[in-house]
Amino acid sequence: MSSYDTVDQIVAARKAYNETLAQAADRTRVTWLPVLLLVILALFPLMQFVGNYNYPIHLVLYTLMYVTMASGWNILGGFTGYISLGHSVFFAVGGYFAGMILARYGVSTIIMAPVAGLVAGLLGYMIGLITLRVRGPSFIISSLALVMICRILFEKWQFVGGAAGLSLPINDLPVQWAKLPYYYAFLVMAAFGVWVAYRVKHSKFGLGLRAISKDEIKAESAGIDTRFYKVLAFAISAFMFGMAGAVWGEYLTYVRPNIFVHILYFSVWPALMCILGGKGTIAGPVVGAVLIVAFNEFFVATLGASAINILATGLIMALTLMFFPLGLIGTLARYRKLPRALNWD
Amino acid sequence: MADILQILILGLALGGVYALMGAGLSLVFGVMRIVNLAHPSLIMMGAYVAFWGFRLYGIDPIVMLPVAMVILAATGVLLYKLVFEREAKSAKYSEMTVLLTFAFAMVFEGALATAFTNTQRVTTPDYAVDAIFIGNVFIPLGQLYAGIVSLVLIGALALYLKYSRFGYAIRATTQNREAAELLGVNVNFVGLVSFAIGLALAGAAGALVSFVFSFFPSKHWEWIAILMSLVVLGGMGSILGTVVAAYILSVVAAFVGFFFGATLSTLTFFVALFVVLLVRPQGLFGEKPELA
Repeated sequence: MSSYDTVDQIVAARKAYNETLAQAADRTRVTWLPVLLLVILALFPLMQFVGNYNYPIHLVLYTLMYVTMASGWNILGGFTGYISLGHSVFFAVGGYFAGMILARYGVSTIIMAPVAGLVAGLLGYMIGLITLRVRGPSFIISSLALVMICRILFEKWQFVGGAAGLSLPINDLPVQWAKLPYYYAFLVMAAFGVWVAYRVKHSKFGLGLRAISKDEIKAESAGIDTRFYKVLAFAISAFMFGMAGAVWGEYLTYVRPNIFVHILYFSVWPALMCILGGKGTIAGPVVGAVLIVAFNEFFVATLGASAINILATGLIMALTLMFFPLGLIGTLARYRKLPRALNWD
Repeated sequence: MADILQILILGLALGGVYALMGAGLSLVFGVMRIVNLAHPSLIMMGAYVAFWGFRLYGIDPIVMLPVAMVILAATGVLLYKLVFEREAKSAKYSEMTVLLTFAFAMVFEGALATAFTNTQRVTTPDYAVDAIFIGNVFIPLGQLYAGIVSLVLIGALALYLKYSRFGYAIRATTQNREAAELLGVNVNFVGLVSFAIGLALAGAAGALVSFVFSFFPSKHWEWIAILMSLVVLGGMGSILGTVVAAYILSVVAAFVGFFFGATLSTLTFFVALFVVLLVRPQGLFGEKPELA
């Protein structure tokens, strides 16, 4: 028989046990690595004093943007298990919103990014209320339909420039510093994205999301407001995409439907990064983003053509899904081979 | 009035082609529960087979149709053996296969675009630009032929499913996989054959599409949403439903295109897909909300 007398004692004992587990996890967590990475990346642009590092800076900036988006996608696709291939819609909405403000009122997109994120998040909340009623393949297909609809709407909407899109002013910094505002903006966003994913994972909300991904009906009957939880997860991930889209528009100096509602680069890539790195892990999207951007650079440098790029992306995705459905981090963790430095959970 | 009749005819003429494009998708979903997002890129492959047959050797696309069917069926057998057979054990099978087929769609698109560039192509047999006039309405001959061939193929498939012994097994597997297996149907082999048939239909559709629409590898994204709308509206897995939905949506799209402009005519399919998924996920002829 149990040595506990009352329910309270059992609860207290379980709490104490969970506490020791959490403390053990905290002791082994390599917190200094992300911090060190952040410091190195923050100091990296100083290299501009000793030479021309515009291109490496662009690459890091690009990767950081994808870290932001992949971490956001992870909250919906990784934790909740709802695979969306339509998040480029929110990227475009963020880009257009901040782009219009910049073109009309001259307010920098970097300042407007959180607002653009909120707009995208709000739209995500509303769309989520509708589309999250269906599950599995239906949800994936509805997200694809969303992209198609959105693209035609943006092309038809003359107020935001139609198919030609918006032209945005170029900043007047000297060329070697011109990228830096965006670089730091994306650095902050990427750090924020990873931090949010971490906080969500370690909250009651994140626990609810993971329960939904395991078995939604059981989660519902366990008293989780599954509808609210998953719609909120959708909104948070849309928020990340909206922020990234806002700054990316000013960085590119234009916002155009065929680039911003691009299904491959802004819907599939973040999803692929998450899957490749490991869905539902914190470090996964970061690792995935670095790998995919590196692969892409490699293919562009060696093969040149953009069609090869699509082929390569598809192949990597197919092979990952077939042989490592848990992703890099997930597979390593399953076999207990995950280096402590990469365990950010 | 003549306008209305004309639009109706144009819509109906395209409906048959859409129906054939969607039929293979529906069959594969019915038997294997795979939402094959790579289907449109395989149709594209069939279109290229017909295109090169016409361009290099001057062979009529309708004559190339069986060739495209055989090539695509072989691709189907290969894909099934290499990929989907082993995925059958996966716990998140339906989601997994959607992502996998999406990945393969990109692989095929990339391969086609690498080999043949993203130039717009179309085969131009004489009848593709011809039309017959009845009073003051006209019927484009290419679309008429394509529609007839489509209906013949779909009819043949329906008869095969209805009256052959193997078709009986396919229908049994569609209705209840476990029960069919218990009664001695080799569901794995049924899956293989229906996957091959589905892809052969994609090849046939490709050969017909090659002179009905102009095409280029990345156009399959648009087709994905169009075909999904047909299959979802018709009820996933119901071939009859797909055909009916193809005619309905094609006619509606023709009217929308006439009254609101050509770009909005494709929007019809996307909006229909979105709305049907959310309002009636089982579609017109689906029996239960399998996917919801």
